[in-house]
Amino acid sequence: MWIPIQINEQSAEPLYHQIEVQLRALIVSGQLAEGTLLPSIRELAQSVKCSVITIRRVYQDLENEGLLRTRQGTGTFVAKVGDAMRDLHRRSAVIEALESAVDAGLRVQCSDDEMMEILRDVLQRKRAASSNPGGGA
Amino acid sequence: MEPMVIEVRGVLQKRKHFQLGPIDLQIPQGYVTAIVGPNGSGKSSLFRLMLDLAKPDAGEIELFGERVGSGDDTMMKQRIGYVPEQAIDVEDSLRADQKAAFISQWYPSWDLNRYQELLRRFEVDTSLKLGRMSKGMRRKFDLAIAMAHNPDLLLLDEPSSGLDPIAWKTMIDAIHRYMERGDRTVLMASHIIDEVKRLADYIVFIVHGRVLGMYEKDALLESWYSFYIDTGEGAVNWKAMPGYRSAEPNGGSMYKVITSEALEAERWCTASGVHITGKQKLELDDILTALIEQERLRIRS
Repeated sequence: MWIPIQINEQSAEPLYHQIEVQLRALIVSGQLAEGTLLPSIRELAQSVKCSVITIRRVYQDLENEGLLRTRQGTGTFVAKVGDAMRDLHRRSAVIEALESAVDAGLRVQCSDDEMMEILRDVLQRKRAASSNPGGGA
Repeated sequence: MEPMVIEVRGVLQKRKHFQLGPIDLQIPQGYVTAIVGPNGSGKSSLFRLMLDLAKPDAGEIELFGERVGSGDDTMMKQRIGYVPEQAIDVEDSLRADQKAAFISQWYPSWDLNRYQELLRRFEVDTSLKLGRMSKGMRRKFDLAIAMAHNPDLLLLDEPSSGLDPIAWKTMIDAIHRYMERGDRTVLMASHIIDEVKRLADYIVFIVHGRVLGMYEKDALLESWYSFYIDTGEGAVNWKAMPGYRSAEPNGGSMYKVITSEALEAERWCTASGVHITGKQKLELDDILTALIEQERLRIRS
């Protein structure tokens, strides 16, 4: 099974963190449904070109969060994600993304108003694009 | 921590022009460990010592908890697959299947189906005499022979030398599949950076017969960075930077500084008001070069 995880080689984010964030998002968003059998640790390591140590760490973290469960001898599966938990993760992913956007703004000395304005612009553009998929962007 | 498949303790081998060791090394079960080092750094000698094909002048090696060279090692060797650096030339006149028939006698777990599947996948022409095979085909044949008895441990000395890119990918894939079960172990010597990046979980650097360290691959590649730093008017005491390795002028008041502890170094820069204008991850060969350079300075001093 192929899992759409994209590694940004230039990013300063540690590899395990990049993989973990993306895999968590796939589970929480329901793109990987409950009960889905994930690739073995070696298989996923091969496909994202990292070591099994990194993948094992990601699987363990997500298992501790209750998003994955491992059955001895069969493999690692996507667990049932409760609504409360889904909501929590749903928001935390967004918060994290916004935090790094705000960091980017602070680096170039954006004012609060400026940043709010940019956020509104981006929102408007994206909403318009998704309600009119033929319209480009 | 996982059980260790190989334990090397204080191993020393003295030759007229070269000294290997003293080496201490532990290879964990379930991982691919790559030994990386320049030619002549002692990688092949280490393999030979592990297989009791050469004797150390001091120290000892254990494989699967059993001391190498301590008596009948038939059972131990049945659990190992070995691809030497160079094909054995006295076998040149044998045909592939003759060699397989000979080798298979020594391995009760020899799996004929597996052998044939590997030959098919590697596209080896078994009607040829070994001496008539191209270098790449001979290599693939040797690898098939080493894997056909489903060993617990694979020792691969420069496995990909002579392989074309397609055969190389097939080999990488075969090793990944071999590792899939999770309890098998590969120790390979390589200086092909891409091969190490794709296969290895751990990396051991060997230079001039000495082990310079064993690292988790991903952590290693994430911790070595070069920073581009503008010193402006003042001077910076680079040596105080965590993981500092080297600093060289890079035009004007710019410096290129290499650190092996990127995260801490970056924090240090922020805290001491040093401005990083750019950063870049080091590739494996750059890391090796930096380590070799350091080793050279150490020997000289």
